[in-house]
Amino acid sequence: MTHDSSINTDGELNNSSNESEQNWRRYFSFSTDHKVIGVQYMAMTFMFFLIGGLLAMIIRAELLTPEANVVDRPLYNGLFTMHGTIMIFLWIIPFNAGLANYLVPLMIGARDMAFPLLNAIAFWILPPAGLLLLSSFLLPNGTAQSGWWSYPPISLQVPPGYINGEFIWIVSLILIGISSIMGAINFLTTIFWMRAPGMTFFRMPVFVWSVMSAQLLQLINLPALTGALILLLFDLSLGTQFFKPLENGDPVIYQHLFWFYSHPAVYIMALPAFGIFAEVLPAFARNPLFGYRSVALATLGIALVSIFVWVHHMFTSATPNWMRMTFMVTSMLVAVPTGVKAFAWTATIWRSKLHLETPMLFAMGGATMFIFGGITGVMLAATPFDIHVNNTYFVVGHFHYVVFNTITMAIFAAIYFWFPKITGRMYSEGWGKLHFWLTFIPANITFFSMHPLGLQGMLRRISSYDPQYQGWNIIASLGAFLLGASTLPFIANIVGSWLYGPRAVNNPWHATGLEWITSSPPPRDNFEEIPIVKRPPYDYGDPKYSVLENSNNRD
Amino acid sequence: MFTFLEYILIAFYVAGLLIVSRWIGQQAFSWMPVQATAEAQRVDDLFSFLVSIGAFILLGLVGVIVYAIIFHRARQKDYSEGHSVRGDARIELLWTAVPTLLVLWIAFKGFSIYQQLNILGLQQIVHLHTPVESPAYATVANKPQPATETIDVFVKQWEWSFRYPNNLTSKELHLPVNRSTRLNLHAQDVIHGFYVSAFRLKQDIIPNRNIDIVLTPIRSGKYRLKDSQFSGTYFALMEADVYVEPLDTYNQWLTQTTANEPTQTKDWVVAESIQAHKTFFNSGWQTFIPASPAIAKERKVSNDT
Amino acid sequence: MQRRTIHIDESPIRLEKWRQYLPNWLKRFLPSGGGNAEDHHGKGIFGFVVFLLSESIVFLSFILTYVALRLTHTDWLPPGVKGPDLSTFVMINTVILLSSSFVIQPAENALRRNQLNKFRFLWLTTIAMGTYFLVGQGIEWSQLDFGLTTGLVGSTFYVLTGFHGLHVLTGVILQVTMLVRSFIPGNYNKGHFGASVTTLFWHFVDIVWVFLFSLLYLWQA
Repeated sequence: MTHDSSINTDGELNNSSNESEQNWRRYFSFSTDHKVIGVQYMAMTFMFFLIGGLLAMIIRAELLTPEANVVDRPLYNGLFTMHGTIMIFLWIIPFNAGLANYLVPLMIGARDMAFPLLNAIAFWILPPAGLLLLSSFLLPNGTAQSGWWSYPPISLQVPPGYINGEFIWIVSLILIGISSIMGAINFLTTIFWMRAPGMTFFRMPVFVWSVMSAQLLQLINLPALTGALILLLFDLSLGTQFFKPLENGDPVIYQHLFWFYSHPAVYIMALPAFGIFAEVLPAFARNPLFGYRSVALATLGIALVSIFVWVHHMFTSATPNWMRMTFMVTSMLVAVPTGVKAFAWTATIWRSKLHLETPMLFAMGGATMFIFGGITGVMLAATPFDIHVNNTYFVVGHFHYVVFNTITMAIFAAIYFWFPKITGRMYSEGWGKLHFWLTFIPANITFFSMHPLGLQGMLRRISSYDPQYQGWNIIASLGAFLLGASTLPFIANIVGSWLYGPRAVNNPWHATGLEWITSSPPPRDNFEEIPIVKRPPYDYGDPKYSVLENSNNRD
Repeated sequence: MFTFLEYILIAFYVAGLLIVSRWIGQQAFSWMPVQATAEAQRVDDLFSFLVSIGAFILLGLVGVIVYAIIFHRARQKDYSEGHSVRGDARIELLWTAVPTLLVLWIAFKGFSIYQQLNILGLQQIVHLHTPVESPAYATVANKPQPATETIDVFVKQWEWSFRYPNNLTSKELHLPVNRSTRLNLHAQDVIHGFYVSAFRLKQDIIPNRNIDIVLTPIRSGKYRLKDSQFSGTYFALMEADVYVEPLDTYNQWLTQTTANEPTQTKDWVVAESIQAHKTFFNSGWQTFIPASPAIAKERKVSNDT
Repeated sequence: MQRRTIHIDESPIRLEKWRQYLPNWLKRFLPSGGGNAEDHHGKGIFGFVVFLLSESIVFLSFILTYVALRLTHTDWLPPGVKGPDLSTFVMINTVILLSSSFVIQPAENALRRNQLNKFRFLWLTTIAMGTYFLVGQGIEWSQLDFGLTTGLVGSTFYVLTGFHGLHVLTGVILQVTMLVRSFIPGNYNKGHFGASVTTLFWHFVDIVWVFLFSLLYLWQA
């Protein structure tokens, strides 16, 4: 890898003291610059995405045939446990944290996050925690094998030995949780306190709103998981009985605590994705975001409602009827603010001047598939139907429509959209489009196939199945292998463009937003002069595409 | 905002959507397994209703997006704005209010179907902390009695067994058709789930809790009972046969089997442990093996081979 | 389609207007319009309050677990176990911990007015009270007739009090740090963020103890 000190020849950077820092080595250092930390998050989590994806492909290879013949059953159970854990806790959530780290200070016109040191510490907890989790593959009896829910008492049934996969799993999750809490404190303080003059709440881009809502959820809900994991650790290693049903404990309490976090966790993952759509769609539709304020408020609304929906994961867990009915209604109500967003995206695209570059393709693809995932989500909230498909592949399909087809698509949209800003270079459009089609089609093949399987009663987490399910499983597996292959053009494009891509201008998309008025890549302190905001966001009607008075934008 | 012609076109679009989504909703019945209980019919009705509404919304929005992709393309290098409308309070209120009503409608429908299921007996009665192996009928007396028979379902890692009123214990679940049967669910070690897809019925079984379900099969046949809550290494093998049969066949089976030895079903778990190491990749990870005498004995066999 | 420009001030929700009616202390923590990046003390306190909010949810999850377990068990105490005993010893311990909040606040106020010696004296008193509580809790633990694994009563009691004790210990360590720093000449001239945070943390620890004390000791089996 050649070093990129030549980035500075852009001419936009007058601050020559930055020159030594504009070097790839800084990404391996303990830096307090939010932009460096953001890239560190994104690069590291992408590694975990590849690992998690590899595990998924082994799982799909096993499910090609009804018999268990690729991996033995303990390993299979470890694979889906680690796949889920890695994808959620080491890919989507920290990637979103990284992207928000990079963008939020730029978008609100701040020089850095509120607590730069805390920011760096929060990041550097993650690599050891992630490696710790992966290291459990090397233990004599392997990783945790009870699914990413880790429901007791099955999670407490471990082979003898003090250090076991489950123990490692709990410890690394607690560490990741601490890192997330640090990040959440930092984001909230940054958004409340570091905004540029004139940047009122209703002038913040929706991405900032969504980060704020998601981080609020982290703060309120994540501690419940931490609490549950601490108690689980006591049960596992110190002989207490909180969740042991045969010794007076109550495993259902764990389920409540777990889902109190893990349902909102879906919104912690999804809200930033919605924020990405709200940035990318207007930029390529050349329209202001339709109904900006209702979208911003809907973001907060989703966060608030989602705190009170967790029991819909437990409709079959011997929950009383009143709970089933109450949570059926609250779960369905999430559809209202979510619908507001989906309608607003569609209205933004309507009567627009569409530019179908790669970020837009990913954003539109993701938004469309989210409509599908959202509809199956409302179906799942209906208790009588949920009782049938609960714990089947219908849920797996629905969940992946949200986490892969929506959120990961949004992440790709974000990478392409802000790639010129982050690296100062343009990616290759042709490779980007190839990547899109190689992702969009196989993703639908893979995850759509899971719905009929679930309706027919194929349960999740099984390593072998009835031969009647084989047809759709073969389709899903083949799609999954293609999906795995689709990361190759992406990696080639990103690495190649970062090294050799053409120089990017400050605002290649003619987009609004404060991040586009500074240079690409931005200088150490983001802005030469802190901008004063005078106009609402998404000001695509403004001939200057500029929200600022003292903007030195070239366009 | 729109011309007259456009209103007509929109009306046609919506009408077309309604017809297509209605048709898709009808198809939804065929995506489900056979309906072996009265509950299954209600659940499928709900599913069809949800699919219709979902198809309407999905196709409606995707149609608009596809239309925009085809007709609203920008010329190369044209970065002027599409339109300057930042929002419209009426439309925004409309698309907040309509989904709210729609969702409340769905919730009401879900609720009423759930109530019907209750009448049919899906209601489960949870008893906290009664010992697992309590006398099977001690708790039945203080419950409403819609069911004619009570069968105890015992589940452990990794097998099902069923105890019938005449104390017959079997590894097959036999149910009389058109009669409600109460199932007393007991788990011995970890959480399991009782799931027969044709019955649309699923219930977690939590150790040390006595959980009842009542079901009324309406269609004779052979079904599969599966464990729906992850229960460890051989989770996937935890299946059992369910026979729904006319009452006389059922009674005949009860009496005939009582006379004989308890049926010897093939023990998949044991078979698996004998045929271990047949996978492409073997991790060699030891897992938790329950200290059950049956499995311990079989493991000795596996050492011999 | 007519063109309509929306000015930001016609916001349907007039945040700015509503903000005027907030009390001053709250107004400070809900800055509007931006431009507060230089208020290091303000954002530090904001961040810390947010952290305490989060921390209280961990306690809440433990407390709810305890309450849920207790409500669903009629046989809460295993045979031969009396459970946590509301002795005079525990009462004195509680009174000392709770009253320390009324010592640390004047200490912080003194620091704000730059009365360093008064601050040191009151601060040291708080440390002593906190340490007394910790030692007392240790003695209490050693005298109980049940251990961590003695049924649910043991599990919940030790985890709840232990987690709280860990917080008291953290508070005392923070206090000692602040006291030591007060002997560095000019340390508190630039601001007293550390002392303010420690005071907040100490109040938090005390409030949590009110709940724990009521639930563990006053709620007799």
